[in-house]
Amino acid sequence: MVERYYLQLAEAEKAKRPVAYMLVGGNLTEIVRSFGYEVVFPEIVALNCAIKHKSLDNILQAEAQGYGLDVCGYVKNDLGLQSLGGDTPFGHIPKPDLLVCSFSGCYVYIKWWEALAETLGAPLFNFDVPYQRTEKPLKEDVEYMVAQLWDFIHLLEKQTGRSFDMAELKRVLERSRRAEELWVQYLDAGRNVPSPIEAYFEAVFYMFPINVLRGTEEAVRFYETVNQEVKVRLKEGNYPVPEEKVRLVVEGVPPYTNYRTFWDFFRKWGAVSVAATYPKVGGLFDLGFVHDPARPLESIAEYSLGAYVNQSWPLRRELIKKYVHDFQADAVLIHGIKSCRSFTAGQGDLRDWLIHETGTPTLYLESDHEDPRYFAPAQIKNRMDAFFESLEQRKSTAAAGAAAVSGVRVS
Amino acid sequence: MTLLQIHENRGSARVAAPNEEPSVPTMNLSSDLKEVRATRDLAQALKLTMELIQDSSFPTARAWVAGGGHAAAFFPVYTPQEIAHALGLLPVSLRGGGEDLEITHADAALGSFLCSISKSTLELAITGKLDPFGAFVFPYICDVSRNLEGIFSRLRPNAVTHMLHLPQNFTSASSVPFLVAEYGRLVEKLERLAGQRLSKDALADSLQVYNRRRALLADLAALRRSEPWKLAATELNLLERLGDLVPPEVQMPVLERALREVKERQRPKRDAVRVILVGPFCEQPTHDLLSLIEEAGCYVVGDELSMLHRWMGDVPVSGDPLENLARAYIRSPVDIGVRATPMPKGVSIVARAKEAEAQGVLFLTAKFCEPALEDVVLYRKGLDDHKIPYLHLEFEEKSTSYEQSRLQIETFVESVLFD
Ligand code: SF4
Ligand code: SF4
Repeated sequence: MVERYYLQLAEAEKAKRPVAYMLVGGNLTEIVRSFGYEVVFPEIVALNCAIKHKSLDNILQAEAQGYGLDVCGYVKNDLGLQSLGGDTPFGHIPKPDLLVCSFSGCYVYIKWWEALAETLGAPLFNFDVPYQRTEKPLKEDVEYMVAQLWDFIHLLEKQTGRSFDMAELKRVLERSRRAEELWVQYLDAGRNVPSPIEAYFEAVFYMFPINVLRGTEEAVRFYETVNQEVKVRLKEGNYPVPEEKVRLVVEGVPPYTNYRTFWDFFRKWGAVSVAATYPKVGGLFDLGFVHDPARPLESIAEYSLGAYVNQSWPLRRELIKKYVHDFQADAVLIHGIKSCRSFTAGQGDLRDWLIHETGTPTLYLESDHEDPRYFAPAQIKNRMDAFFESLEQRKSTAAAGAAAVSGVRVS
Repeated sequence: MTLLQIHENRGSARVAAPNEEPSVPTMNLSSDLKEVRATRDLAQALKLTMELIQDSSFPTARAWVAGGGHAAAFFPVYTPQEIAHALGLLPVSLRGGGEDLEITHADAALGSFLCSISKSTLELAITGKLDPFGAFVFPYICDVSRNLEGIFSRLRPNAVTHMLHLPQNFTSASSVPFLVAEYGRLVEKLERLAGQRLSKDALADSLQVYNRRRALLADLAALRRSEPWKLAATELNLLERLGDLVPPEVQMPVLERALREVKERQRPKRDAVRVILVGPFCEQPTHDLLSLIEEAGCYVVGDELSMLHRWMGDVPVSGDPLENLARAYIRSPVDIGVRATPMPKGVSIVARAKEAEAQGVLFLTAKFCEPALEDVVLYRKGLDDHKIPYLHLEFEEKSTSYEQSRLQIETFVESVLFD
């Protein structure tokens, strides 16, 4: 599916299909696709480059152009890749005809899209998404966004010469809704003990259709297949690790450059992520939101508000606490990203809150999502080993205590 | 120990235990801040301002609160402080902790790769220096400022905190109504602190006061641009920063007197390079670094040091004052890193340099300030295309040695003068 997507993108220029660049958080993929655009998500291209160990070349190219060490790795990967011609191991990334900046949860989005507009000359539309500070969306925020969506639709009509088809958008949203419900069903499987899913490392792979292919039958079919697979796993007792010893909630962007290595550090201790925040960067569907074809633009607006990093810290804190409770997690692991302030600024305070105010053992680690120079495997492994060891001890002490109370001997 | 406990234990700087040295208070002012009004000339006013800035216990806010008032703290860059003023609050602009503040706790809570102002602001809060304030407003200028509000809401649960979402879409007809609603939320919170409702008349009066202050500062900036030898960058900066700490009514007589005094100054014109300072819109370079720029042979004829005071011209006072304030924000032509800008950066920087008749651009960006760092690349390209010379320096609040910077600026000046 991913290969097919990149293949289609690579052919877009030749086939003269218009291309829009979009950001994952709060994206407007349904509207844009209804006008016949191919959609490139440079964040996803960047993470794919990092997994394929190709991000450093792009980053160095961007640094040579003047982008400093502290600029977000996704930005540098993208701008470096653009200036190197756009070829990746998974295909050619076409240039944009339109830049859609859904400003939802990350200020860097604004800067990044300005740089693209200036260097590539494509028109830019800023979709301003207010920061989410209340549990329920506020009426004025939704009205503001719906008005902007109409402006956007008029711009698309002008760019493509096509008329907007509300009935088609509603059909697309209906497919989005089905995919979203199936995605939540998959995420909910993490509540099982032991968990049949890996809600961080595995879910990161599975989030591709919910972010990129939302609104297509393909996305719906994908999650149907995945949920079938989860059922089989449950039936056959086929779990992410042979013996689940630690249940974790994971917060933060993964170190894509060392994805497997990082995952191995978990597996070694029988640690499984049962819930994670990062797969929610495209939307918090698990909190009950799904697109509603009966309220098309309002629900697109509400969707855009719901990107995980667009939630205020009090909302983020409570969500993580809820995950720990609902998914019966033993601990929280936070992975901070050196070049991502949106996710990371304040994660130390989150750790402090989790430990002292909720009594949850929490480990904070730091590296980078894109830049392999900031992943120190030995240091990270040592800290994780020490943490898991202490968790193990804590669990056996608790088990011994419980056994003593009930009069059972544990050896 | 949690940050909350550290805050509660170390407590307010005002209540030191019997044998404990008080943590800072060095200045005690009267509640009407007559000490500022009593300064006799520019030199005295600047000296007092410097002392106020260096005293991290916020003497003006302490004095105001001791007099029975309430104070509200605003993070840079732009916030509608007229609202607080109209409610009788003392609006104070937070500008970091300066070079003397030791960061002991904030690193752990906030993260390592972050600008100094975010850390020092949090450190000030943890160590009780911000206790005089009953409200904290953080505009969404970047992800760090935005996230700081979330940490403050935990650290100061009884204070008002607000993350102000300033629009990034300036062309939509819905931006003004949205901002009016957003300001409305802020108004409600500040009303709680003030213990009174905001009246239209009071807000209109405040708009007038702030219009007048902006006009005075604009006059000083214009004078500095046309005759930079008469007013140093550090002097104008201090005059502006006085307004971060005292009400406009206290600052304006100082500005009026300064304007008269500076016009009369007889100072020789130097053979210096006219530069604009771009980048320090949020975190502030130290006074020493600013002085160094002029010592090393530059005239600063434009800067981004106190954009709050330059965000807009006159805001109309008739009609709905809150809507007028919101409209003025949306319509402002200000083009800096913390707001989306329609004009390409390369074009904008060249226009600004030309407008100020600058011979070069000095980028002065705070370390780890991503919005500034990203803009600089595009700015540089525009300047290269127009062969306008520039130099980029990074600073931190706790920079102490400037030898390297001095050398770089001197080399830059020479290259411009003798090119
Ligand atoms: S959220 Fe973080 S990783 Fe994503 S674009 Fe923003 S800064 Fe970069
Ligand atoms: S210095 Fe830059 S990064 Fe830091 S708070 Fe200010 S604008 Fe944000």
